[in-house]
Amino acid sequence: MHIPDSFIPMSQAIIYWLIALPFVFLSLKWARKELDDMKVPILAALAAGIFAIQALNIPIGMGTSGHMVGATLVAIIFGSPMAGVLVLTLVLLVQGFVFGDGGITTMGANILNMGVISGFIGYYTFAALRNKAGIKGASFIGAWFGLFMSAIVCAVQMSIAGTFPLMAGLATMGLYHLIIGFVGEGLITAVVITAIEKSRPDLLDSSLTNTKGVGV
Amino acid sequence: MSVNVSSGINMKFLYAGIAIALLISVLAPFLASPDPDGLESAAGGVVDEKTLSELEGAEPFVESPMPDYSIEGQGKMGEVIAIVAGTLLVLGISFALGKAAKK
Repeated sequence: MHIPDSFIPMSQAIIYWLIALPFVFLSLKWARKELDDMKVPILAALAAGIFAIQALNIPIGMGTSGHMVGATLVAIIFGSPMAGVLVLTLVLLVQGFVFGDGGITTMGANILNMGVISGFIGYYTFAALRNKAGIKGASFIGAWFGLFMSAIVCAVQMSIAGTFPLMAGLATMGLYHLIIGFVGEGLITAVVITAIEKSRPDLLDSSLTNTKGVGV
Repeated sequence: MSVNVSSGINMKFLYAGIAIALLISVLAPFLASPDPDGLESAAGGVVDEKTLSELEGAEPFVESPMPDYSIEGQGKMGEVIAIVAGTLLVLGISFALGKAAKK
């Protein structure tokens, strides 16, 4: 879902940067407040893992492929969508500047879509469903829905940019990412969260692993 | 000393994470699907041919050193090196940023 430079006119690309930047600053503020010697290695390992897995596109049929985004996974582990914004910003910076994956002018839109929208929607969907669906189900649905909604927003941006027609863009982006979100995002997120919960529950934010509710 | 014990365990988590990330990095060039991603596929389906060739032919705003996760003329091995380098770069940047930001 990395938007190249040519897909959004400069004036609109700047607006997405202006929307994304406050979230980037808030994520740095989160890092100052929350990170300690325990959490820094986890953050670094997750960021490296997400960069690597984003290079691994999986086929979803119809001549299309997709890869994990990972913002919801990071947000669930750290108990804050800001963690997802921070990690995705770092990953997108390296992808954009070193590998030409996603444009530099459109990086604001990419941070907004993959970091902010997928992370926030994914995390809060997970948080809302955790008590009803359990950690496995809630992380699957949260990650899937977060990715799907970021694709919907991306289709709207493409339509405002005059690049895609609105309805056709929504239909194709929606359909492809419905599947990508199911296979690439939901499944991997649920498997990783379940594995961590089983082996190292102390790594997960305590308010989220406590199924009796927040703040106990 | 429980803090020291836990941080030792977290370093193990770090090493395990790095090992998994590097394993994926090395395998990705061989396993990744060559099919276009969701956005490119959508563009191919909903944009008329003339506009599409303009979009795809447009130069990036900034030239990147290793476009498309590859090194020119180095084939699969170049892709492995590019993705491993990217993984280590992301690791280094996020570790340094985390260390700088922590309270």
